Amino acid sequence: MDISVVILISSFVALLLLNVPIGVAIALSGFFSLLLSLDFVSTTTTMAQRMSAGVDSFALLAIPFFILSGFLMGQGGIAHRLIEFAKIMVGRLPGGLAFVNILSCTLFGAISGSAVAATSAIGGFVIPEMEKDGYSREFSTAVTVTASTTGMLIPPSNILIVYSLASGGVSIAALFLAGYLPGLIVALCLMIASAIYAKMKGYGESSEKQSGQVFKKTFDALPSLFLVILVIGGIVSGYFTPTEAGAIAVLYSFVLSTFVYKEVKFKDLSGVLNKSVCTTAIVMLLIAASSAMSWVLSYENIPQSISQFFLGFSNNPIVVLLMINLLLLLVGTFLDMTPAVLIFTPIFLPIVEALGISPIHFGIIMILNLSIGLCTPPVGSVLFVGCSIGKTSISKIISPLLPLYLAMFIALLIIICVPTLSTWLPGLFSL
Amino acid sequence: MSLSKVCNRVDYFLEVFTSALMVALVLNVTWQVVTRFFTNDPSSFTEELARFFLIWIAFLGSAHAFRKGAHLGLDYFVEKFSPAAQAKIVKTILLFVVLFSVCILIVGGSCLAYLAWELDQKSASLGLSISIVYLAIPISGLLFLLFSAESFKNYSNN
Amino acid sequence: GKGHEARVLKLAHGLDAKHPVHLSMVFFAEQLAKYSQGEMTVQIYPSGQLGSERELIELIQIGSIDFTKVSASSLEPFIPKMKIFSVPYLFRDGEHLWRVLNGPIGKDLLNSGTPYRIQGLGYYDAGSRSFYTTKDPVNSPSDLKGMKIRVMNSPSAVAMVKSMGGSPTPISWGELYTSLQQGVVDGAENNLPSFYLSKHYEVAKYLILDEHTSIPDVVITGTKSWGKLTVQQRGWVAQAMADSVAYERKLWRKVSLESLAAVREAGVEVVVADKKLFVDSVKPIHDALANSEHGELFKSIQEVR
Ligand code: NA
Ligand code: NA
Repeated sequence: MDISVVILISSFVALLLLNVPIGVAIALSGFFSLLLSLDFVSTTTTMAQRMSAGVDSFALLAIPFFILSGFLMGQGGIAHRLIEFAKIMVGRLPGGLAFVNILSCTLFGAISGSAVAATSAIGGFVIPEMEKDGYSREFSTAVTVTASTTGMLIPPSNILIVYSLASGGVSIAALFLAGYLPGLIVALCLMIASAIYAKMKGYGESSEKQSGQVFKKTFDALPSLFLVILVIGGIVSGYFTPTEAGAIAVLYSFVLSTFVYKEVKFKDLSGVLNKSVCTTAIVMLLIAASSAMSWVLSYENIPQSISQFFLGFSNNPIVVLLMINLLLLLVGTFLDMTPAVLIFTPIFLPIVEALGISPIHFGIIMILNLSIGLCTPPVGSVLFVGCSIGKTSISKIISPLLPLYLAMFIALLIIICVPTLSTWLPGLFSL
Repeated sequence: MSLSKVCNRVDYFLEVFTSALMVALVLNVTWQVVTRFFTNDPSSFTEELARFFLIWIAFLGSAHAFRKGAHLGLDYFVEKFSPAAQAKIVKTILLFVVLFSVCILIVGGSCLAYLAWELDQKSASLGLSISIVYLAIPISGLLFLLFSAESFKNYSNN
Repeated sequence: GKGHEARVLKLAHGLDAKHPVHLSMVFFAEQLAKYSQGEMTVQIYPSGQLGSERELIELIQIGSIDFTKVSASSLEPFIPKMKIFSVPYLFRDGEHLWRVLNGPIGKDLLNSGTPYRIQGLGYYDAGSRSFYTTKDPVNSPSDLKGMKIRVMNSPSAVAMVKSMGGSPTPISWGELYTSLQQGVVDGAENNLPSFYLSKHYEVAKYLILDEHTSIPDVVITGTKSWGKLTVQQRGWVAQAMADSVAYERKLWRKVSLESLAAVREAGVEVVVADKKLFVDSVKPIHDALANSEHGELFKSIQEVR
């Protein structure tokens, strides 16, 4: 491995340990590394361009929209009514609200196809509600972060489209069908892990059991439930794209909380807007910097040289598959998901196809690996969004994340060992 | 006028400006849906405009969030040091923030905006000058620099 | 040559590694290595790893990459004259197109980027773009009425679809597959290999070969990178590029036919358009163009026989 990798990683680790803002640490380490290849002015200009290009994407608008609507829902009583309604159904189970959180993130992630959108949309109002119910803020955030990634596997999913293009031939329709069961398995594993964790910590047991108000609570929740129907129904029936649904959600929650419930006053709006701008900007700086760092990694061919280094060890199929998974997990911690798929698919796919693994199955394995990477420090966009939304820090969220990582890891093992889970549904439709 | 007063004013303006952009963003994308849904002449500029608003919110908002101390860091190790050592660490952090804002945001961003201006690069749909979009980067760099100076001064006085 | 160290040049583009354009670039790299006897090597970054076409052009201007391939329409914001290629039915047929590109007009356009730090090296065939739709087939422009057609983010593409009677709808390329699937738009337009490789044929089952625009791809370098090369090295690049262009044109034809066969195989209903109807529907665009700043260029292209 060459000097550019060493500089990039060592400067990044040093800046991180020093508690430099992570976005700044990521951008600076990419900058130092790129200085080895280009002159000063070209390096600075390229870094600035890559940072701006990182946030120059229409799909990213889902983040500010769902952050804003999440805050409006939280402050305007929509969230509370939705949660009261949900508690009617799951309130008595251990970790009932964690289940609500996981199912909402899975559903929203599935439909929007974006894990960060799911984290900002659901986390924004569920985390405070879970906290009111006795859950720790960190655990609630950890649940949101991990559950949001299931939407990468359950269709529609933009990242599976990227994989299809990078693999040069795998059908998107087949990949979409292949993702259903693995996505649900991840959600199930997360639910089991959170139930155990919640039981151990005694979360959610303090909430009083009110059974007499089922009808009233359902009735109260109707206008709020309509928001869910509007967003999900609008996307599914093709009235708007998931990104556009964000803007509609903002408008609807604004009208509902300001004019109908009247729990948000006009003078509160500037505060809500400012909070949303701050959270959005924190996330965007991280995305901008990560995308610039990903660019430097690609430019210096670092992922390729790391894979060559690791794959040179053995020809044993199991060892090779293990190495590939480790590499995806490891490099997935630094690299954005899209460049990771674009760079690794052409390197790994021929190797695993020679081992007899179907490209559909491998696509699911790869996306799940990289999804775990989205929730791991030091670089993980969903983790970053979660920490900003849940107002917690990365060091505090790690311990409740550990059992959830384990759950995702077990799901990964199941999905690797049982290829039928991925290939059965596409096979049914002879894809 | 003292440094902190200047910063307060600049920051207040920043807050109002980015909030206004946020509202504009929501209205802009709603307009996109409305024109596509209700007319046969869907608006063709909204997608581009929305992306440009987002770039401005991202860079200017970052500076605002920096002043609030809201950016994420890894505080795990630093917390273990004595308060005196921590004050020194904070100053070192500020130096790196200055390095970031000067090299990448101010120099890099200005070069980028200048290149787009010199070569008269126009956006594909609105025909807007791309240099205006890129101007958000050096402006954000200047704001980061200003707020770093304020923070440095506060830590030196204590 | 003597006194020169081996140069590694960086080439980035937006298409995947199985696309004919990528394969032709690999061929370019091989030829360049051969002519320069290993003095010049080219490293290729496919799949938009280093950025979108607009961003790659900027990186060329900055000098952090040496070559890229972009659609002529991506060059419009930098080189206004390139707008001419977005005019529907500008060329009578493929032969007319290549006569223009290989003639003085094409050469002039390749050099027209130098004030913008861009040096054109050659044209690649990018075929013709046609419409494809999800719900109803299109046989004539009147069928486009009320249909939401995804177009590229450019005023000329918007004007064209409007002129034909459709509703031009800008959707980002990344959101297009699901937008077609969910019905946010009713159709889109592209060349045959892209229709096939993007898998849009899985959700859009009607293709009409109306071939409304033939926008070539342009291989460019930056004047900054170009200036660092010796006269001899530039000669090698030009030679290798010429080989690659010939190679690409052959490969493109082959892949287009294969793509057409493959989408037919997958159940796409293919209609060969009565082009006259479509040409008539864009007549207002041609009339307006004749009186615009690009009127002269338009006229001289029409005059090429
Ligand atoms: Na999804
Ligand atoms: Na990570």
